[in-house]
Amino acid sequence: MLAFIARRLVFGFATVLGVLLVLFVLFFAVTDPDQVARRAVGERASPETYEAWKRNHGYDKPLLINRTHGAATLARYTDTLLVEHYRRMLSFDFGRSDADDAPIWQRIKEGIGPSLSLTVPLFLLGLVVGIALSLFVAFFRETYIDRSVLVLCMLGMSIASLIYIIGGQYLIGKLLRWFPISGFDPNPAVILRFLAIPVLVGVLAEFGGTVRLYRTVFLEEANRDYVRTARAKGAGEVRVMVAHVLRNALLPILTNVVLAIPFLFIGSILFESFFGIPGLGALTVEAINGNDFSTLRTMVYIGALLFIAGQILTDISYSMADPRVRLGQGVQS
Amino acid sequence: MFRTMSRLRIGTVAFALVLVACTNDPYPGADRTAKVYYTSFSLAPKSLDPAVAYNVAAHAVTANVHDTLLEYHYLARPYRLIPGLASAIPKPVTLPDGRIQYVFQIRKGLLFHDDAAFALAGKDASGEPKRTREVIAADFAFELMRIADPAVGSPVVRKFAAIAGFLEFRKRLRVLRAGDKSFAKLPAHRQYARAGGVPGLKVDGNYTLRLILTRADPQILYWFALPFTTPVPWEAVQYYDGKGGRPHFQDHPVGTGPYRMSVYDKQFRMVLVKSPNWYGARHPEWKAPAATFPSRAEIARMAPGRIDPVYAGRALPFIARIEFRREKESIPRFNKFLQGYFDRSGIIKESFDQMVQNDALSPKMAKRGIKLEKTVEASIFYVGFNMLDKTVGAAAGERSRKLRQAMSLAIDVKEHLRLFANGRGVAAHAPIPPGLFGYDAKYKNPYRGFDLKRAKALLVAAGYKNGIDPATGKPLRLTFDTGNTQAQAMLRYQYFVNAWRRIGLDVEVKATNYNQFLQKLKVGAYQIYFTGWIADFPDPENFLFLLETSSGRKVSGGSNYSNFTDPEYDALYKRMRALPNGTERRETIRSMLAILERERPWIELYHDEDYTLIQPWLRNARSFGLSYPTLKYLDIVPGQRAQLRTQWNQPVVWPAWILLGLIAAFVLPGIATFFRERQ
Repeated sequence: MLAFIARRLVFGFATVLGVLLVLFVLFFAVTDPDQVARRAVGERASPETYEAWKRNHGYDKPLLINRTHGAATLARYTDTLLVEHYRRMLSFDFGRSDADDAPIWQRIKEGIGPSLSLTVPLFLLGLVVGIALSLFVAFFRETYIDRSVLVLCMLGMSIASLIYIIGGQYLIGKLLRWFPISGFDPNPAVILRFLAIPVLVGVLAEFGGTVRLYRTVFLEEANRDYVRTARAKGAGEVRVMVAHVLRNALLPILTNVVLAIPFLFIGSILFESFFGIPGLGALTVEAINGNDFSTLRTMVYIGALLFIAGQILTDISYSMADPRVRLGQGVQS
Repeated sequence: MFRTMSRLRIGTVAFALVLVACTNDPYPGADRTAKVYYTSFSLAPKSLDPAVAYNVAAHAVTANVHDTLLEYHYLARPYRLIPGLASAIPKPVTLPDGRIQYVFQIRKGLLFHDDAAFALAGKDASGEPKRTREVIAADFAFELMRIADPAVGSPVVRKFAAIAGFLEFRKRLRVLRAGDKSFAKLPAHRQYARAGGVPGLKVDGNYTLRLILTRADPQILYWFALPFTTPVPWEAVQYYDGKGGRPHFQDHPVGTGPYRMSVYDKQFRMVLVKSPNWYGARHPEWKAPAATFPSRAEIARMAPGRIDPVYAGRALPFIARIEFRREKESIPRFNKFLQGYFDRSGIIKESFDQMVQNDALSPKMAKRGIKLEKTVEASIFYVGFNMLDKTVGAAAGERSRKLRQAMSLAIDVKEHLRLFANGRGVAAHAPIPPGLFGYDAKYKNPYRGFDLKRAKALLVAAGYKNGIDPATGKPLRLTFDTGNTQAQAMLRYQYFVNAWRRIGLDVEVKATNYNQFLQKLKVGAYQIYFTGWIADFPDPENFLFLLETSSGRKVSGGSNYSNFTDPEYDALYKRMRALPNGTERRETIRSMLAILERERPWIELYHDEDYTLIQPWLRNARSFGLSYPTLKYLDIVPGQRAQLRTQWNQPVVWPAWILLGLIAAFVLPGIATFFRERQ
């Protein structure tokens, strides 16, 4: 087990190095620092202004080879943007925003709370509703309830998230006046009001895909021999579904869930932007709109780190959910 | 089955409870009875340092946190100065050497807001670190020296150039810092003292500030009604250095005003609360003009029927807390106003026809008790050319002049106002707006009408026939820098681009957020730009200085973003500045406008017409027309607000019950059939 985790961590680290290389190519080689500086201080700034800006934001070194150092010196290759990029990212020294000089770590710390306050309830409620509804339709399989829910799921999946958001704001916020249209306040007395529409809309937007997936998983399990045996031994339908089918269907559900958990930390770009929630998703959108490459780079990097962490967690969680899985040895039949 | 029915009943009750608890009120319940004023912001100010902050968004905060020596009478029009922290408005006195002196007598017993920074000032009588201290004349001098300090980066340095030794002090600081690293590490107030201070700023004791000017500068008094000249404690500048978890001073204002900042979260909320240290709160018996509502006679004379006389002579401020909530998008913001959650609002384009009919408030809105206030602001919005640019600027001589004239003639401002502002606004022919001395409603700028034929002819004369640049053989390519990336603003910028495309020019919009745009302006990295100016004070000088050489962005970091320079204009400007309002001043202004007419550093677009909707519970609201704080004069009637909000926001719950019923009607028969078959 430990050897497997160690191996996965090493693979994960190698992937991080690869991600950093891609980021370097995208943010430094394709988008060269002069271009970034020009976007920040304007097309017609003097060369001195560009240089000062680049120096202040750590863009002032050559990309791969620093010819100001002697040919035989190590600094020729280490005093470069590439090495600096790796050093800063691996030590989580994200520096300052290209747009307004604010420390990026500070922004992330400020944004993570609002992001989690949206994504965690959205995730948990979506999970509970998804599982419950899937079990429900699997229970009533081949009835008009099952078929109708499937049609609704297809319908739900065909509508873009943006329509749900705008429709939700208009219907629930403006016409029905149930909750505030947008905004955010971390005050515990009011926070739920602000989260109500985004969470409801989010669950509704997601439920089509979730229910279809989980229903398939449950139906597959429901047709297995052990379920028939349980019924033959007199177990009630609810007990069969919850204690046997749900428990044994956890593996694919876990894959889905554990992979999603790390992304809770980076928020929801669409929901945060439209509902005015000052989380990391909104920060990313602002970074895109404001040509804030350093913040954008950091957010992409954090997203990649979380994805890799999610993959490792998923692998580990497999062993807990399914004893047949022997880590590092594949599945024994 | 019985258990299932019980669960259903519990579920229904829970659902009913959730519906009852539904509310779209974005604020805590405790605020319903509190005197809280709710307003919004879309982007947090870049700096709240009073020496630096110079835009409407920043002044909305700084001007309520920082008090000034002088203020404006709330109701008097034309605008009139009244004493603020000074006990009287000083009169200019000519000294024997010809210099001009103003003496400010500062009120005794003024206190700064409570703040941890004052621990640097020592301990109080009980041995505890000080939380505040008295405001003294040296604090005003300190702030004026900060304006001169090149490290602070104040945009209004030139406004105080008439103070004896002001610019020399600036140079001295620069030299001392460059030559002595230990000097540069000293706290700012020690550096200023070591640099010898500003000779024209004399501090006599704790309560007298003498200002000695090398030349007459009647407008300088207006600057003492703006937050730039507020007293700033050296302790706060030293303490808030961004180290050890402390914010920078630009993010932590420490002032003397009626409100102090209690929450500053740039992402979603800024909160100002009433300061118990404010002189108006501690000494209502002084009946200080800037801490007392105008008298009954003044209300009757200046705002009959618009202000309730019950407020006459009452101590300010009335509102306990000011909440700025971040609302990035205009439509949700306006919807929240309609739901009663903001107390005042402009009108968005999308809802204009619903709000205003026949140039008056629509009957539906009037029935709700909402009021409409219309004011032509002392403002100008314009497209500017960077005169240092080699294509559109002065270096290209007659060629660029004709290009600018052609571009000016290509814009149909009336159409622009109709499309983007529902016709609100007065087409501008010169920088000076209506209501200010020097404005002439009959004046028509020959290059501000819409005339494509003339525009094309001017382009031919400039050597850009059909907009083609002979150097490339393609349409002349220009860049247009703007400070707003929102969709609505982009459409507006595109309008200009399309207008210029009609005469053959290829103009590309370079939109960034406002703070980045300011950065571009700071470093001079632009060709054509769009911006506006709202008067700091009601004098034509405050508009004409925007094109005077010493205010050039390049030379002084000032507000002449066009970097326009013309010796004749400068000479006329100097003359105009020193003249009292009268025929001679009017003639001088006309001569200045004639230069602008020909040179076209700007395409004057419009003077903004402000349509403000005011909720019925907001009292004493009056559009001021200047970028000036008036929140301390406002009052809220919380009971009326709570009642109307409840009335306007009754949740509509019947659709939920219908939905629940439909689901039950759909699912229950299936469940029943299923179990029956199973049995």
